[in-house]
Amino acid sequence: MAHWRPVYAVLEREVVRMFRQRTRLVSAMVRPLIWLFVIGAGFGAVLQQAGGVSYQQFLVPGVLGMTMLFGAMLAALTMVYDKESGVMRMLIVAPFPHYWIVVAKMLSAALAAILQASLLLILLAVLGYLDAQTRFGLLALGLVATSAACAGIGMLVAAFTRTLDNFAAIMNFVIFPVFFLSGSLYPVSHLPTALKAVALVNPYTFGVDLLKHAVLGVLPSGMGADFAISTDIAVLAGFTAVALVVASWRFSRESAYEPMIRILTGKRDG
Amino acid sequence: MEPTFKVRKQSRESAEQDTRPHSRAMNPAPATLLAVRARGLVKRYGDVLAVDGLDLEIPTGQFFGLLGPNGSGKTSTIHMLATLIRPSSGSASVYGHDVVRDAVRTRASIGLVFQESALDRTLSIAENLRFAGLLYNLPSRIIAERSSELLELFGLADKRNRPVGSLSGGMRRALDIVRGVIHHPKILFLDEPTIGLDLPNRRKIWRFIENLRARTGMTVLLTTHYLEEADSCDRVAFIKSGKLVKSGSPAEMVASLGRYIVEIESPDVETLAQRLAPTLGTCVLDGDVAHFRYADEDVVRLAGLQSEPGIRVRALRWRQPNLNDVFLWVAEGKA
Repeated sequence: MAHWRPVYAVLEREVVRMFRQRTRLVSAMVRPLIWLFVIGAGFGAVLQQAGGVSYQQFLVPGVLGMTMLFGAMLAALTMVYDKESGVMRMLIVAPFPHYWIVVAKMLSAALAAILQASLLLILLAVLGYLDAQTRFGLLALGLVATSAACAGIGMLVAAFTRTLDNFAAIMNFVIFPVFFLSGSLYPVSHLPTALKAVALVNPYTFGVDLLKHAVLGVLPSGMGADFAISTDIAVLAGFTAVALVVASWRFSRESAYEPMIRILTGKRDG
Repeated sequence: MEPTFKVRKQSRESAEQDTRPHSRAMNPAPATLLAVRARGLVKRYGDVLAVDGLDLEIPTGQFFGLLGPNGSGKTSTIHMLATLIRPSSGSASVYGHDVVRDAVRTRASIGLVFQESALDRTLSIAENLRFAGLLYNLPSRIIAERSSELLELFGLADKRNRPVGSLSGGMRRALDIVRGVIHHPKILFLDEPTIGLDLPNRRKIWRFIENLRARTGMTVLLTTHYLEEADSCDRVAFIKSGKLVKSGSPAEMVASLGRYIVEIESPDVETLAQRLAPTLGTCVLDGDVAHFRYADEDVVRLAGLQSEPGIRVRALRWRQPNLNDVFLWVAEGKA
């Protein structure tokens, strides 16, 4: 039995909160643009143009991916915030199986990522970073699939995290490695073997690669996409499904769930 | 005990179908249907036995108080009945739904107000209620109708667009209760609903709950530390170390203690307790005051105690017992 109205409730709350927390939204737009203009221009001056693509253009799929990664992670981590603030109390007493909380939160994280990436896309289009060669259908698919995978990473982290105290640790040990050890800043094919191996087990790599297909295409210089579109989609879809199942399992498991109830109810009464 | 017949229509399976605000059908419930039935309920945390073979029956429509000292297992019991934690053994059902096998339907028939707030401080009152209502699968229109009705009842109607973070503690508690009943539950669990509130706000919350009960006839299961609040319960049960010690109407419970409570204050209260045990029976010590139960009508006899040799009495008073005394005697295991 599906519980779409509760899922809609969670999505609506996420969107309302996203547009209410202006700083979160503004920084979600500014962060990738800084990378594009500062890092892109800086390294672009050092690196020579390869295969007709400037380094700045090469970075466009990477910063789109970055927006989705950060957007989805922050939205997924509201699950931890909800545990601390008490909103989780509303969710656990509602009449649906508890894994639906994970389904709803994961969808809302993906939605947050898609919305933020779409806003960024408009900015990029206005600034002239998208040209007529962009394959918009593929781009839309890339946004959806990458957002879903990023939401999956976020839900896995959220399901295994009890408090927001270790948010800095999550930034350092999850978000940054996922971002740096992907094809966002450099072509995967040019990476040293060890790092390449890590990039290949990172599902986010395939999201960025799909975006490269849409924005850059496959270039002979190796500056374009590294994998086939079908590979990208298969990896992203597979990872998303596994993440959803694992996070749901973890969340509903009694040994994880009952301590959470005790945190939520703050009870010292046996 | 007789089930009360103030319940809403029993045929309604879920909150979703119940779209009429505060429908109050007077058709009697089947005599066998209990709002809550627990049999040998046990909850174990490692070596700690939080709830120890609890049997509980609450008829529909009753206002039931679960009382007991800290750590006696009240909250664990409520959470098992609310399907939030699993019983280690034993069984329980709420309106006929087994809390383990039929958890989702159990949750649909209950409203739960936690000790701590379950609201989103960043959203407004109306947005919080909308969120809660959608979680119960209510259509937007119904949520809007019920929200305005309930906010009116709870004196929050003019604040519907205020963010929850800006509300006072009392208003937030009131909103928490509105949130707990937006889906018209058949039974409302109130776990220490007035904890941390000042007296005027506690009174206000109780007026709201009374109004709500008068309008909907819903069953209410209450835990509280403020025993004067349990005075208006139809029935109360005292639990201690996870076991039911005593239950009955507040008046019966109080009457069972005796006609009077005699308080004797003495600098050497332990000697006094020993010396008076043969005449007055066991006592409960509260600082340097000894509480005795006194069944006799003749209180004049007590005055003579002061002249008994070897007893130093600083003050002596007698009064009618109340629920606080029951609590005290239960907590001491002497009730």
